Amino acid sequence: MKRLALTTALATLGMMSPALAETLKVGVATAQTGGLATYDAPVIEGVHIAVDEINEAGGIGGTMLIELLEKDVRSDAAQTAIAVQELVDEGVSVLVLPCDADPSLAAMGIVSGAMIPAISTCASSPTLPMVGGEYMFANFPGDNVQATVSAEWAWEQGMKTGYILYSPDTQYTTLPLYFAEVFDALGGEMLGQDTYSIGQQDFSAIVTRIASLDPQPDVIMTSAYEPDFPSFLNALRAAGVTSQVIGSDGIDSPTTFSLGAPAEGLVFTTAGYAAEGSPLAAFNAKYEEVTGAPSQTVFNAVGYDLVKVIEAATEAAGSTDPQAIRDALANLEGVQGATSVITYKGTDGMPVREVSMIRVKEGERELVGQPSPTAELIPAPRMQ
Amino acid sequence: MLTASPRNMAIALAAAAAFVIVAALVASGLGAASERVLSVFFISLIAVVGIGIYSGNSGVLSFGHLSFMAVGAYVSALLTLPAAMKAATLPKLPAWLAATELGLFPAILVAIVVTCAFALVVGLAVGRLDGSAATIATLGLLIITHGVIIGWRDVTRGSGTFFGVPRETSLWVAAGWCLAALVVARLYRDSVSGLRLRASRENAIAAGAVGVDMKRERLISWILSAAVMAVSGALIAHFLGAFSPKKFYFVDTFQLLAMLIVGGMTTVTGAVTGAVTITVVTEVLRRFESGFDIGAFTVPQVFGTTQIGIALIILFAMFRKAEGLAGLKEWEERVFARRGAKKTAAALPAVSDESALTAEHMTMRFGGLTAVNDVSVTLRPGEIVGLIGPNGSGKTTLLNMLSGVLEPTEGTSRLGETTLDGLPTHRIAELGIARTFQNIRLFPSLTVEQNVLVAGLSTGGGKDARARADAALARLGVAGHADKDAGTFSYGDQRRIEIARALACRPKLLFLDEPAAGMNREETDALMETLRGLTRELGIGILLVDHDLKLINSLCDRILVLNEGRLIASGAPAEIRRDPAVIEAYLGTSQTQDDPAEPGHQPTEENDP
Repeated sequence: MKRLALTTALATLGMMSPALAETLKVGVATAQTGGLATYDAPVIEGVHIAVDEINEAGGIGGTMLIELLEKDVRSDAAQTAIAVQELVDEGVSVLVLPCDADPSLAAMGIVSGAMIPAISTCASSPTLPMVGGEYMFANFPGDNVQATVSAEWAWEQGMKTGYILYSPDTQYTTLPLYFAEVFDALGGEMLGQDTYSIGQQDFSAIVTRIASLDPQPDVIMTSAYEPDFPSFLNALRAAGVTSQVIGSDGIDSPTTFSLGAPAEGLVFTTAGYAAEGSPLAAFNAKYEEVTGAPSQTVFNAVGYDLVKVIEAATEAAGSTDPQAIRDALANLEGVQGATSVITYKGTDGMPVREVSMIRVKEGERELVGQPSPTAELIPAPRMQ
Repeated sequence: MLTASPRNMAIALAAAAAFVIVAALVASGLGAASERVLSVFFISLIAVVGIGIYSGNSGVLSFGHLSFMAVGAYVSALLTLPAAMKAATLPKLPAWLAATELGLFPAILVAIVVTCAFALVVGLAVGRLDGSAATIATLGLLIITHGVIIGWRDVTRGSGTFFGVPRETSLWVAAGWCLAALVVARLYRDSVSGLRLRASRENAIAAGAVGVDMKRERLISWILSAAVMAVSGALIAHFLGAFSPKKFYFVDTFQLLAMLIVGGMTTVTGAVTGAVTITVVTEVLRRFESGFDIGAFTVPQVFGTTQIGIALIILFAMFRKAEGLAGLKEWEERVFARRGAKKTAAALPAVSDESALTAEHMTMRFGGLTAVNDVSVTLRPGEIVGLIGPNGSGKTTLLNMLSGVLEPTEGTSRLGETTLDGLPTHRIAELGIARTFQNIRLFPSLTVEQNVLVAGLSTGGGKDARARADAALARLGVAGHADKDAGTFSYGDQRRIEIARALACRPKLLFLDEPAAGMNREETDALMETLRGLTRELGIGILLVDHDLKLINSLCDRILVLNEGRLIASGAPAEIRRDPAVIEAYLGTSQTQDDPAEPGHQPTEENDP
């Protein structure tokens, strides 16, 4: 029905004023089935809400409607390449790619060749736009941005010494290396670092090493998540280490809030916090109004952000020309999305976004702050 | 050497070439998106065909073949990755590798060599297993390879994306390699090794008995299929330009296996049919899933339609076409008749070697049961020896020990001066002992000719194999059946085919386990004449197990009688008929009036262990 309504609206507009009939074709090649659907499906829900909202208001700048051309890439890199080629053939001006680096990069050869800007729904690895080239953009706080926010916060709280625990198994679990880099740059001292394997669970050796440090580190940073993080935290507290622990968005789950005493005072970074009167709260209300169910994940709002970025870039470009939109996108500043104010200017395609810092207080979520990181401090993405 | 007719093979290969070239031409006319769809199709087809070379011909389903694809992808990508990119993303590479920068073609060749070496090592281990144990081992291979790739970060970037690979897999590159894979797979299927492997798939024990070394043939096909998988892996790596270990894991394994199983595992036609069917259905359905209009109705966008469609095809195939849409035959095997009437067959060579089989103290225990107890027998070329005894007396067990199917608990046997102890069946067949089986072990979906030919090819170095096969078929009077599948014949014909197959091994000694079972009187009489001819004209020694005592009495020079695992009598037919122990064993009394060696006795099928 949505499509029918859109078609009717288009037809009506077309008859009334041909000059206004220009539409922005957005190619959406995302994983609606398969392993990546967990992330891409909620993002695309948010995309639909934003597109309908804009079109109902008359389109971008009140004149240009957004038309979505959607393909399911089934979480497969080869299918992403095929779908993107089809969308390019259909003349889209902007592309939306899956939440993962593999399919996004597999499509980039085509995207760069066609010179069309492409935005990954929610990939957070800062190397993605770097590898993808000048037409690749991300739409999620980068790992290095999250780490910068937490390092700056720790420094402002007067913490002078740090310790990190990371795993080289995935890009994401190496986030603490960024933390160490920023903390060091701010003048802090790293007392040491340890590595673990994902799923290791037994952290006694590492915890013993940390407990024997004298003096104890002021802050311990890790991007471990379940099941490693709870094991690590419990072992750490059981060994009598009382240092501030900082985590990342991977532990933004109910488990963390049910850990009891060991998690008390724990701080972590995540994409958004629905404070009363905030844009995220407004989006969540809108989501519930449209779908009839409350939003279960911040990825809905991230999808909304994505369309707001496209809208702003197209408006700034003043046309549907892909190259113009790319250039405008790369220079966007202060776009108000649902989770954050978003800036691409001065970055490599990885957006500067607010990161919310959450503290666990008596098993509840407490907002510490939503600082924007200092751009100069954000570390360059690491290729390995 | 090819076992299929050259004309059929030429037609098959020409059709494969036409298929690939026409498809590529059409796609390149339709634009870039179609080219990409077809490139991915070609790359998938290479992998499907690659899995089929092993799984289709051996009958062992493999979940592990994507490991070879992964090795091919990573090895080739490491070789083609620009040196500057390597320096930036893989600083810990050894210097010689960091400096290497090859083109796609030489990189694929190196990838093939490395993958084959890997497959050889793995194959030696996996080849020791059989049936579902082998399948589970291949699953282990997939998981272990995946783990190693993730763990070997300095070379593979771990679970992260391996990017920057030059995108050099164009449509025509994929098409060329696809054609090469189809040709290799098709030639292998009808090569000597392929035919032997298919025989072992149909019946492993019988294949061993006609001289097929199943482990060796499996290893050959395993390595060949790994080479084809390596090509597929290298091509997909250079098509995507960016990939990670999860590209070569369960999801893609099942997708490719689905193609193979839907189409039919045992043929190249099946692999192509499956890949085409699933690709076409996917391409059609995914165009609908974005939603469309029928008149005034709007069908909403429903993602997942594609997967549901594929699942339905698999279900349909499993219910209605369990052997796959293409069945068990290549398309040209159905369409074109094979070679016409047989040439008048050359005679089988007469046995020149007079060495006898001597077995001493043969004993076989299964747990607490002693099936055969201290039996000694001899069998010389040119004589026919009958082996009789009530059901369960150990006759088949004795044959199984003498032919290497069972390893005796105690006892020793030798042929002339060559000891047979511990030799595998295929070695015993090579030494000149051939056999048939009580419960008929033909290769049912191979033609009669192939059944016999594989025996000729697997013994005596394959010399004169076709002449031997033709002569054996002619001698048993089944030459007219040559082009039909062995499994389609009556009991009597199947028994004759089985004897012909044993004869093609150019045996000195022939063990026949109930050759007349299921035959009527006339057929039995004709068989007797045939068997007499074998000893008189060719000098073959025959050890004959049968319950038809008329047959035994009139054919045999000597008779051995087993009862409860023991040899209770041996001698000329006349002596045996009068032997009180034999009479008691057969009748359970010591009365002497009844002649046990009368026809019509014990028509039941025996099922010795």
